[in-house]
This record gives sequence, C-alpha cells and structure tokens, in this order.
Amino acid sequence: MAKILVVDDSSTVRDEVAGFLAKNGLDVATAIDGKDGLTKLKTDSNIKLIVSDVNMPNMDGLTMVEKIRGELANKTVNVIMLTTESSPAMKERGKAAGVKGWIVKPFKGDAVLETFRKLAG
Amino acid sequence: MNTTKPVSKVLLVDDSPAHTEALKPFFDEHNLIALKVRDSGRLTTVLRTNIDLGGVLLADDYGGSIEQAAIVAARINALRPELPIILRRSGNATTPALAQALQSIVCASFDAADLSTLRTAVDQYIFSLDFPNALVRGIAEITEARLGALFDGVTVRRDTPSVVRDRIIFGEVFSLIPLEGSWCRGYMLMQTKEEPLLAMIERERVANDGGADAAQACFRDLNSLLGELTNLIWGAFKDRFLAQPGARAASQAQVPLLVNHKHRYISFGSDNPQLCFQYLLKHAASGQSVAIDQRFVFSLNWSPEDFSENTVDIDDLVESGELDLF
Repeated sequence: MAKILVVDDSSTVRDEVAGFLAKNGLDVATAIDGKDGLTKLKTDSNIKLIVSDVNMPNMDGLTMVEKIRGELANKTVNVIMLTTESSPAMKERGKAAGVKGWIVKPFKGDAVLETFRKLAG
Repeated sequence: MNTTKPVSKVLLVDDSPAHTEALKPFFDEHNLIALKVRDSGRLTTVLRTNIDLGGVLLADDYGGSIEQAAIVAARINALRPELPIILRRSGNATTPALAQALQSIVCASFDAADLSTLRTAVDQYIFSLDFPNALVRGIAEITEARLGALFDGVTVRRDTPSVVRDRIIFGEVFSLIPLEGSWCRGYMLMQTKEEPLLAMIERERVANDGGADAAQACFRDLNSLLGELTNLIWGAFKDRFLAQPGARAASQAQVPLLVNHKHRYISFGSDNPQLCFQYLLKHAASGQSVAIDQRFVFSLNWSPEDFSENTVDIDDLVESGELDLF
C-alpha cells in the first residue's frame, strides 16, 4: 500500500498531520528531520509521497529533496512542502529541487486530502 | 494617552501625595503606567514580583530624607540594575558625597516644577527605541490569529503592548527564535506557565480523541506546541516585515545570551528595551485560561528608518493551508 512520509521536527505537527491522514485511511510514516526522512525513504519503497517542513535541525527539507533527486536518484517520489516559509525565492528553490507543491502552515487537512491521495498513488 | 503606542510601567517610589497627583497628567500624556510603592518595606517584594517594568521614578526625599532615598536607590540598583532610575529633586540640601553617590546610581533627575527634563529622561531611558505603529499592530494581528487557531473555542484578549527594560523571565517555559532582517536583528520570546497550557492541551485531546482514552499531556507536548506556535508567528513575521527582495542582514555579529536560571534572568547583551505583548487565551465553556507573554528584543540591529511592511491583507495570511501545486 502506498505510504505518505510526514517529515517535521515538531511532534505537534507530525501528530496533527499524520493523525489526520491515518484517520482518513492513509498509510503514514513519520520522520523527525531531513536526515531521518532520507533514511526512512531509503528503507521503505512504499513511500510515494513526502510531506515535509523546510526549517528543521540536522538537515532542512529542501536539502533533503535535493539529496532525494541527486544522491538517491529518486525522481518518482512526490514531495510537498508544509512550512511557514512563503517567499517566492524559497518556493523557486523548492521547484528547482523537484518539489511538487507548497503549503503555508497551518495545515488544513480537508483542503488537501484528495490531492494527497492522488499524489500518493 | 496615545493608544497606538506601547505603554511602559514605571515604579513610583515617592511618598508625597501632592507630587504623585501632580505627575498623573504627565504619565497619561507619555504612555506611562505608574505602580506606586506604598510601603517601603515591600519595595523588594514589589521589585521581585513586577517582571515587566520600564523604569523607576524615585523622590530624593523618599523615606523622609535624602540619606534614606539614597539607601533605597542603592537597593533598587542592586536588585534590578537594568532599570533606569530617574530622580525627582526636592531641593533639599545634600552633602557632595551623598550627591555623588546618588549620581552614580540614577540616570537622570528632574525638578517637579519643570517636567521637560523628565520628558527628556523618559524618552532617552525608557522609550529609547521607537517602535513603528505598523510593526506593533502587525505583530498583534499575526499573533492573535495564530493563538486563536491553537485550540477550539478559545478567545484571545490582548493588553496594550508595553516597553520593558527589565530582564526577568516570565512564567516557567519560553521559546526563543532569531529575527534576521535588513532593518532589525534580534529575537522573539514566547513565554508561559506550564500548568494552564497543559490543561488546555489535555481538554482539547479529550474533546478530539474521546474521553478517558486520550493520552495524558506532558511537558514535552507543551514544549512542542509552544515551539510550533513560535514557528508559525516567526514565519508570518518574516513574510510581513522581513520580506524585502534581496534583503540581507547587514551584519552577522553575534553576542552571547545569558540565562541565569536561579534568578530567572535573561540578558541579550544589550540594554535595549524590549517590546512586550501579553495575551490571554480563554476557553469560555471550561473557564480555562492561559497567559502568553511575547517579547521582541532587537539587540543586534535596530534601524526603524528602513522599516518596511509587506502589505498583504491579513485575511490572506490567515487563509493559509492551500496547496500551491507547481
């Protein structure tokens, strides 16, 4: 079953987003930062969509995406950023790195659930 | 009182009813809130319990003589050296030694017959930073919107923002995040008490997850919530006030922050006043409430002449959560 990986250093956000997705019948995993996200992605081929914060310790979300596309050569997993960052420059960097979409926090699950389902395949 | 400007609380250490009465219009006109110390024996307690003071106004005949006033000034200075002490001169004769001792403690003095020197001292030592109205209003709007979305059914009340010169930590837990822009550099603090916020988290969990099965909230849940709240406000602050294209901090200078746990004291390495907001979250149905204290400390750079605001409608800011697909 396709799985969604929620990457955020805040347990409040991880619980909120992962809890919402699980309640709506989606298979969910979580990671606490970009580094952890990379590790989880390497070891779980069911992950088809990543919902990630940008500002995190150890490895930020955009660096994680750059490594997914570069080092891991994974061009298929979809990545959505869920962040307080909304500057066009930051979004451009995300787009260039291969991010599929951008959500400015706070998370409103109902508004994005169907798109998440489609992106998770 | 100018209601668009921050206020500042000053401790009025003056036992002359006539003078304190005469100063009232001045306080109103200059956005000062006077806290009177009625009993000199309680001065230490008052200084220790009032955590958001902007300064002290001391009469040089407080306690009956200039010698007594000098002792009080020394006590205040020993307890709260960060608070500017402004002295009201009564015209009583003093010895050169005593005058010099007082001079080394107080930052300015004034004569009740000429309040222009008091005005200058207040501007120089209490309201020494001019916070743009748009900044003060914007911070309040950003924060109230995010606090209101924190829990179901809460209302948010905000006190008039204040300028604070003391360094005392409020509550039991605080978050700290740097603010880096071309016109300002410093920090935002969000401070609160543990038990009332935990109670709100607990109530929300029970309401959402269903009765007794809900996991009990612990301090880590509170830490995480406060961290995320800080993150949300920080993001909105950046969008609104630090979003100039190509804006970069002019300097990368840093100074150590000092936290003294025992004395509940935090120093940012600068004497700059802090801009303080107090919010009260209230859940009407349960009667629960929690106070959130928010402070802005622009300790590394403050150039309000370069201040700019990204005038995105506040409703657009609140209506986040939409997916922008590339």
